[in-house]
Amino acid sequence: MELQAIYVQVLALAIFAIGLIVAISRRNVFFVLMGVELALNAVNLSFVGFAKTLPADMSVAGQIVPLFSIAIAAAEACVGLAMVILIFRNRESVDADTYSNMKG
Amino acid sequence: MLALIYFIILGVIAIGSAFCVLLSRHPLYGALSLVLSMLSLAGIYGLLASPFIGVVQVMVYAGAIMMLLTFVIMVLNGARDSKTPMFDRVSLFVVPAVLVLTGLVGFVLVRSPIAFDSTALRGSVKLTSETLFNVAQTGPGYFILFEVLGLLLLSSMAAAVLLAKKRLGSVDSDNAEDK
Amino acid sequence: MMNLPLWLIPLLPLVGTILLGAIAVISSGSKKGPSEGMVGFLAVLFPALAFVAVLLLAMGMPVDGIRGTLCNWIDIPLFKADFGFLFDGLSRIMLLFVTGIGALITLYSIGYMHGDRGFARFFAYINLFLFSMIVLVLGDSLLLTFLGWEGVGLCSYLLIGFWNKDVNNCKAANKAFIVNRVGDIGFLLGMLCLVTVGGAGILNYDALNAFIQMILTGGHVEIVLPILSLAGLLFFIGCTGKSAQIPLLTWLPDAMAGPTPVSALIHAATMVTAGVYLLARLGNMFALLPVVLFIITLIGLLTAFWAAMAGLFQNDIKKVLAYSTISQLGYMFMAAGVCAFDASIFHVFTHAFFKAALFLGAGAVIHALAGEQDMRKMGGMLKKTPVTACVMLFAFFAIIGFPGFAGFWSKDLILERLFMSGPLGPAFYVVGLLTAVITAVYMGRLIILTFFGSYRGSKESEEHIHEAPACMLIPMVILAIGAIFAGYFWADSLGITVFSDSLAPVVGAAQASVVHAGAHVNPLIFAGLGTLAALLGMFIALKVYGSARIPEAKGSSAPQGFKASWTFFFDSLHKYCGIIPVSVLAWICDVVVDKILQAIQWTVGAIATILGDGVSTFQVRKVRLQLAFSVACVAILVAVVLLTGGTF
Repeated sequence: MELQAIYVQVLALAIFAIGLIVAISRRNVFFVLMGVELALNAVNLSFVGFAKTLPADMSVAGQIVPLFSIAIAAAEACVGLAMVILIFRNRESVDADTYSNMKG
Repeated sequence: MLALIYFIILGVIAIGSAFCVLLSRHPLYGALSLVLSMLSLAGIYGLLASPFIGVVQVMVYAGAIMMLLTFVIMVLNGARDSKTPMFDRVSLFVVPAVLVLTGLVGFVLVRSPIAFDSTALRGSVKLTSETLFNVAQTGPGYFILFEVLGLLLLSSMAAAVLLAKKRLGSVDSDNAEDK
Repeated sequence: MMNLPLWLIPLLPLVGTILLGAIAVISSGSKKGPSEGMVGFLAVLFPALAFVAVLLLAMGMPVDGIRGTLCNWIDIPLFKADFGFLFDGLSRIMLLFVTGIGALITLYSIGYMHGDRGFARFFAYINLFLFSMIVLVLGDSLLLTFLGWEGVGLCSYLLIGFWNKDVNNCKAANKAFIVNRVGDIGFLLGMLCLVTVGGAGILNYDALNAFIQMILTGGHVEIVLPILSLAGLLFFIGCTGKSAQIPLLTWLPDAMAGPTPVSALIHAATMVTAGVYLLARLGNMFALLPVVLFIITLIGLLTAFWAAMAGLFQNDIKKVLAYSTISQLGYMFMAAGVCAFDASIFHVFTHAFFKAALFLGAGAVIHALAGEQDMRKMGGMLKKTPVTACVMLFAFFAIIGFPGFAGFWSKDLILERLFMSGPLGPAFYVVGLLTAVITAVYMGRLIILTFFGSYRGSKESEEHIHEAPACMLIPMVILAIGAIFAGYFWADSLGITVFSDSLAPVVGAAQASVVHAGAHVNPLIFAGLGTLAALLGMFIALKVYGSARIPEAKGSSAPQGFKASWTFFFDSLHKYCGIIPVSVLAWICDVVVDKILQAIQWTVGAIATILGDGVSTFQVRKVRLQLAFSVACVAILVAVVLLTGGTF
């Protein structure tokens, strides 16, 4: 028994599903953010896993793109947390369901 | 064989800590579980012969982002909201939907014939830096992307500061100074 | 003086239009209105300057004309057109009397329109009309002529409906505009026909003549003859619209709703002759098409006779003149139909003088009687307004072809050419002569009813009758002099052929190509017969209207009974052949197409509304629920893709 490429993908898929469930079903806005991070991580893992199944030259892109996505995740977390602080200051609540000012 | 054992250990830790994130009541516990999950993912990157991404994962995700998150959770006292239920009826709808989606995608994945290629390059610092900065060989695409990313980070930092800072003269800022 | 640029001629009235239009717009708010002296001065200045420019150019014109291109107009693949002007023998004559008579009538209008609210607006329109007319005549391609053609149509519309407070005037303006559109479609399609034979470049007159020359020398006439005949017919339809020939003539009598100077300038002297101008301009092409020429002759003959009869039945002084104009235009078309383009243009030239004089005289009479147009309420004006009466009398002698006056020379020339045109010539000649007799009768009736006998209007209005002011009399007198002497530019029997020599470079080739097979008759016989016709008509008029008691004027001045059915024959023809079918079509469109389309539209709209209402129930306030929905939908999509194997 050796490590198979498909195991990595299944692991990534499982983490992605958990991240999605966390992001959507939890009402605390911090868990929403954490779920998004988890899902992003899963995607990065999937990238690397697929990159390793490709021959030499083609395997580069899959190992570079996660770097970028990590950086973008950093930016996203930064802005997202700033918004959480702003909203929390106005509404004194971390319940995502109460954030319905923009409802049409 | 050894790689598989390591993978199973790390994978179980990652999924387990992800479940902890899902089920923990206090955001701080969730954040710490998330750090654990990310650390184990970093180990898996190492297993997959991409040590550089693993290191970046530890430094940026587990270090920087999660530290930021933890700080914010600790700063905002109301982060632990006992009145807010953990799950509600929406969750009852979400979980099956996500599970169905996952099942479908997993079904496709399992049936697809993929296997590791032994010639795949090792994701070392050398490879990364050559790809990013050796413009003569790989073309300017990644380099430009890299620079744009720098701008993005700078602008998000500025945006975060502007969003989160207390407006001078507002009621909030007065209260904050009293405390 | 040769270096005077050609574009200066249309530019001058255009500047006048812009200036006067600006004055009209600026002063429209004020109660008092602009100073009439200044407006009148500006209004006359520009046409007069244009006339001087034309005169200077005409003096030093070389035999084959002056050509000048101002700038590029249209430049797209396969199609190029320039703003090019062509000043040759034909456009010289047209321009001379267009600008000359235009300037005179503008001068007259200052007196006629005195005190009108739209004083500046009126002269802006007149200047715009002169600009368009000059472009029409001076353009070196059919396209530019068409631009002017539409421009004069627009000005005609604006000026007929000038007194737009009265809804009848507006209706008359609409009628003129719409009937003209029918003709204009003919013009457009004619141009398209030409383009299909010779490419877009053929719209230039020089290129067209070269093309005609080429197929003549190449001997391939029969190949292009059908399409050329079609083009000729279509152009002729355009001419019937603009020049009020059968069947598109109903608009001209109604166009008399406009101010009288407008009737004189546009609907008698210049614009309506544009059709004749076009025929002469395309003379080389028409000379190849015997069938079209025959149709033109026939139409001209019928129009001349019908309109002369209709003129006999009118009581409105301007309506008589309108039908007389149609009748005279019929003469011009007859002449063009037998390829006597120079004679037809000569009649245009003389007709412009005497008909303008007649209209201006009628305008002076109407002015003197404070707007009364019914001839049955006039009479005995000879003593009250002697100058006007003299002018009208001279013009009357000119129109009936009394020896020595302008109409004598041109009308006899046309009749002579008709007679010699071929086997049917004598028949044409007889109808033409008969029409000349009727012309003398109805014109004699007009003169007798207006100027002789005793005044039949009310007593108090009689005291207000006064001679027109000097600025109205001067143009009338000049035109009357023209009506007497304009004929001497081409007096065949006296050996003067200035006019035909001037036209020869343009239409000579076309006329030479048609063989005039007919017995040679001494021209003096024609002259004698023409004189006899005029005298006979005058005698009849004197007998019938001179002594008889004029019926009391009651009701409107419109003719009654048989006279009405004759006069409005073509109106009813239009009604049954044009208006009613179109109305039925419009009704069908309204009921079937419009209603059904609307039903479909409403159905679709209702479906969309119901769907939208249904979907909007899913728009709950929880963002998370929305996201959950979207995840579920992604799952469904993936399932669909998997089940269909990715083909869907």
